[in-house]
Amino acid sequence: MKKLIALVLVLAMAMSFAAPASAKTYKVAMICDSSISDGGWGTACYNAMIDAAAKMGWETAYTDSIAQNEYFDTADSYCQLGYDLIYAPGNQYTDAILQAAEEYPEICFALLNGAVTTPDKAVNKNVMSLLPDASQIGWIAGALAGLMTESGTIAFIGGMELDTTKGKYEGFGEAAKYVGGLKGKTINLLDCVYAGSFNDSAKGVEFAKAMIDKGADVFFGDASAVDSGARQAIDEANTAKGEIKIYDIGQPADILGQNPCVICSQVTDNSAMIVAAMQAVVDGNFGGTTLFGTMQNGCLSAGRISDLVPAAVQEEYQGYLAQMMDGTFMK
Amino acid sequence: MTDLILATVRMAVPLVFIALAELYSERSGMVNIGLEGLASIGALIGFLVTFTTGNSWLGILAGALAAILVNLIYAFATVTLCADHTVYGMAINIFAPALASFIYKAYFGEGSGLSQITLMQGVDIPVLKDIPFIGNLLFNQTPMVYIAFLLVILTGVFFNRTKAGLSYRSVGEHPKAAATLGINVIGVKYLGCVLCGALAGIGGAYLTTCYVNTYSEGCIAGRGFIALAAVIFGRWTGSGILLACLFFGLCDALQIRLQVASVGVPYQFFQMIPYIATVAVLAILGAKKAGPKAKGKPYRREQR
Amino acid sequence: MNKLKKSLGSFIVPVISIVLAIGIGCLIMLALGKDPGEAMTYLFKGAFGSKTNFGRTLIKATPLIFTALCACFAYKCGVFNLGGEGQFIMGSIGCYVVAYLSGIEGVPGIILALAAGAIAGGLWGVLPGILKITRGQNEMIISIMLNYVATLFMGVIYTNWMRDASVPQTLPVPDGVKLSKVIPGMRFTWAFVIALAVGFILYYVLFRTSAGFKLRAVGYNMTAARFNGFPVKRYILMSFIISGAIAGLGGGAEILGTQFRLINGYGAGYGFDGVAMALIGQLNPIATMVVAIFFAALRTGSTMMQTATGVPTSVSDIIQALVIVFSVAGMALTKLPEFENFRNKLFRKGGAKA
Repeated sequence: MKKLIALVLVLAMAMSFAAPASAKTYKVAMICDSSISDGGWGTACYNAMIDAAAKMGWETAYTDSIAQNEYFDTADSYCQLGYDLIYAPGNQYTDAILQAAEEYPEICFALLNGAVTTPDKAVNKNVMSLLPDASQIGWIAGALAGLMTESGTIAFIGGMELDTTKGKYEGFGEAAKYVGGLKGKTINLLDCVYAGSFNDSAKGVEFAKAMIDKGADVFFGDASAVDSGARQAIDEANTAKGEIKIYDIGQPADILGQNPCVICSQVTDNSAMIVAAMQAVVDGNFGGTTLFGTMQNGCLSAGRISDLVPAAVQEEYQGYLAQMMDGTFMK
Repeated sequence: MTDLILATVRMAVPLVFIALAELYSERSGMVNIGLEGLASIGALIGFLVTFTTGNSWLGILAGALAAILVNLIYAFATVTLCADHTVYGMAINIFAPALASFIYKAYFGEGSGLSQITLMQGVDIPVLKDIPFIGNLLFNQTPMVYIAFLLVILTGVFFNRTKAGLSYRSVGEHPKAAATLGINVIGVKYLGCVLCGALAGIGGAYLTTCYVNTYSEGCIAGRGFIALAAVIFGRWTGSGILLACLFFGLCDALQIRLQVASVGVPYQFFQMIPYIATVAVLAILGAKKAGPKAKGKPYRREQR
Repeated sequence: MNKLKKSLGSFIVPVISIVLAIGIGCLIMLALGKDPGEAMTYLFKGAFGSKTNFGRTLIKATPLIFTALCACFAYKCGVFNLGGEGQFIMGSIGCYVVAYLSGIEGVPGIILALAAGAIAGGLWGVLPGILKITRGQNEMIISIMLNYVATLFMGVIYTNWMRDASVPQTLPVPDGVKLSKVIPGMRFTWAFVIALAVGFILYYVLFRTSAGFKLRAVGYNMTAARFNGFPVKRYILMSFIISGAIAGLGGGAEILGTQFRLINGYGAGYGFDGVAMALIGQLNPIATMVVAIFFAALRTGSTMMQTATGVPTSVSDIIQALVIVFSVAGMALTKLPEFENFRNKLFRKGGAKA
C-alpha cells in the first residue's frame, strides 16, 4: 500500500510539475525458469539485467527457478507491485507475457528471444521482442570452427529444440562450410543433438564423448549446463591424448580460461538490448517492435581468443569478423 | 562398441547406488519414492564439500550423511508415526531439492559464475587393465565404480547367505512373524532408512564428484525414478538391479548415439523404455514375485 | 458430539501444520534478513488481497481440485492411484487433439473436447487397474511409471507430431472452445465451476447412493466385501477408470481454461500434490476441495511474497513441502493407538474436573 501511495505521489508530481522522467526510479523485474546461479543461460540473462540497470540507474528484482504454471502468476505479481518493465528471457514465456500485457496496458514487457511476430499479438502494443540474431551467433563460432578443424568434423549440442537453437546451428554450419571451403577443407557438421534439458550435465558428457568418437574436433552449443558437461568431456579426451586438439567455442559469455579446451567465446551482450528497451520505456515509445541484437549494434561479438589459435589464424578470423560487421561475409 | 559399453557403465553406476538404496529400504518394508530428493541433497552437499575441501571422498561422505539426515524425517514419520510412505516420499522430493537450491544460492550468491571441482581420479588396476577389451572396461575406473560393483555382490551375499540378511528380509515380508522371533522390527526399518539415505546420497554425490565437475539444479534429472524402476525390473535382488541399471544405462547411451547418428525417431521414445520395461516386467511376472510382501504397509507394535 | 469432536480434530492438525510450516519459513526469512511480517502480509494479499488475486487463486486451485478428487475417489475405493499426473496429462492430450482437430466450436465443441479428455484419462487408468485385478500387481508403482510415459509422450506431441512450427509447443486451441470467465474481472473460468460440481457429485455418489456404499465397502475391507458377494474386481477396475477420468477431465479443463496448449513442463507435479491434498482432506471430497483451494492460495500468495520481498523461490517450496510433511505426519500421529489413549485420558480428566 505504502508503495502504491508512493507511486501515485511520484506520478502526480511528475504530471503536475512536468518534471523530467528521470525523477522517478524505474524498476525492472526478471522472471526465469532456470536458476540464476546455473553458470549458463540464467546467470548470463541475470547479469545482463544487472548491468543494464546499473547503466540506467534502475532498481531490479528477479524470481528464478519457477515452474511452467507459475510464469503468469509471477509476471502478474510484479505488475501489481508497480514494476515498469518485466523482462522474460525466453520464448517459452510468450503466453504468460501476452496475457499479462493485456491486463496491464501501462506496463512494458521485454521478451528476450521472443518471436518477431509476438509484439504484434499484444493488443496494447506494450510487448517488445529482443532477438539476438541467431545466424550471426552461429557465424561467429562457425568461422573459427572452419579455420580450426583438422578432421573437418564439427559438432553442435542443443538443449531444447528451439527455433533460436536451430538458427544458431544452421549459421554455425553455413559459416564453417564457407570458411573451411576456402581453405580446401570439406566440413562435415554432425546433426544437431538435443539433451532435452538445460540441467543434465551428465548428458553433455555423453554427447561430447559420442561426438568425439565420430571425429568431431570443434564444438559449439546452446545448452547451458549441458555444455559444461561437454567441455569437461572434451578436456578429458585432450588430457588422454596429451595435447589439446579438440576445441570448444563457449557462449553466451566470455568463458576463456574456464576450461582448457575453450579457444574463444561467442559473446552475446543482452544488456545492450535491455538498455535500449529501458530507454524506450523512459522515452515512452516502448513496444510493438522487435529489437534485433546484431554485431553491428554491439550485442554480438567474439570474445578473447586463446593462444591455441595460431597468430596467423587469429588474423584471418578477425578478417572474417570484420566482413560480418560490414555485411560482406559469404557474399 | 567399447565406447558404448563404457558409456553404459558410466550411466549405470549412479543408478546402481540409488537403486540399491531403494532395495535396502524395500527389503525392510519401506517403499521410499523420495530417492530423487535424497540424491539431489547428496549431489549438492557432495559438491559443496568437495569444492571447499578439495577432497572428493569427504564430499561423498558428507553427501551420504546429509541424505541420511533428510531420510530420517521420512523414517520417523513412516516408521514411528505410520504415515503414508508414498506421500512422504513425495514430500521429500519437493522438500530436498528446494533445500539444495536454497543452500547453493546461500553459499555461492546470486548470478555467480560456474564453480568447478576436480573430479575423483580413475584408478587403474595394473596388469588386469591390459586385458584386451574388458580390461579398460572393468579395471580403469574411479574407485566408486568398483565400490558399486562390490556393493552389488555384498548385497547379494548379505540377503541370501547370512542370517542377519534373512532376518532383515523377514521384516519386509512378515514383520509380525519377525517380531515374534525376537527381531527388532522397528530397528531394522530405521536401519533400512539410514542405508537408503546413505546410498541415495552417495548416488547423488557420485554425479557431482565423479561424473561432472559442476553442479546444476535438477542435475538428478529423474534418475531417482529410473532407479525405482530398476529395483522392480531387477526383481529385488542385487544382481538383478545391476543388470537392470546396465540395461537402462545402455538405453540412455544408445539414445545419445542414435541422436548423434541422426535416426529420426523422437528421443522421448527411448527415454520411455525404462518405464515401459518395468510395467511389462510387472505384467509378465505374477504378484508372488512382486517383492517384499509387507512393503508400504505400516507396522504397529501393538497389533499382535 | 463425538462426530463433531472428530471433525474438529481433523481440522486442527492441518491448521497446526500450516502454522508450524509458516513459522519455520519465517525463521528462514529472519536468517536471510527479511521481514517476516511484511512477507506474511504479501502472502495473504497475493492470495486473497483483491478480486483479481482471489480469481488467480481459484484458477490455480482448479487443476489441483481435479487431481485431488482423482486421488480422493481412488483411495476411498481402496485403489492407490498415484497416476493422477499421467491421467491428467493424457486427458489434456485427448482434449487438445479433439479440440484442435475436430473444428467444432462453441458449447458442443467444449463438451466433446472435455469428454475426450475424460475418456483419455480413464483409459490411462485401465492398465494399472487391469494389472491389479488380473496379476495382483501393486498399482502404485505401475501408475507412477505410467506418469513418466505420459509426460514423454506429450513431449513427442509438442516437439514432433503437432509442433507449432519452430517452437517446441503445440498451437493453442481455437478461441471458440476456450472456457470463458465466470465473473468479469475475476480470472477464474467455468473450469473451476466444473471442478466444484465434480466434487459435489462425488460426495453425493460416495456417501448417498448404494453404489457409493459398495465402493466404499470395497475400499474399507476388500476381503469382507468379497465374502459378501461384491464383484470386487469389477469395482476396482471401475474405480480406476473413474478416478482416471476425473484427472483427465481436469487436464481437459486446464487446456480449455488456462493453458490452451501443450508445452514443456505442463502438468508437472499435479498428481502427487493431489494425493497429498486428498489425504489431508481425510478422503472427503468436500474437505479435499477446501484443502486444494488452500494450497492454491498458498502458492499464489507465495508468488506475491517472493516477488515483493525477494525471498528465494526455494523458501516457498520448502514451506509448501513442510505443510505436507507436518500434516501427513500429524494425521498419522492422531491415528496411533497411543495418541488415542492419551487423548481419552485427557478428556476424561477434563470431564472429571467439570
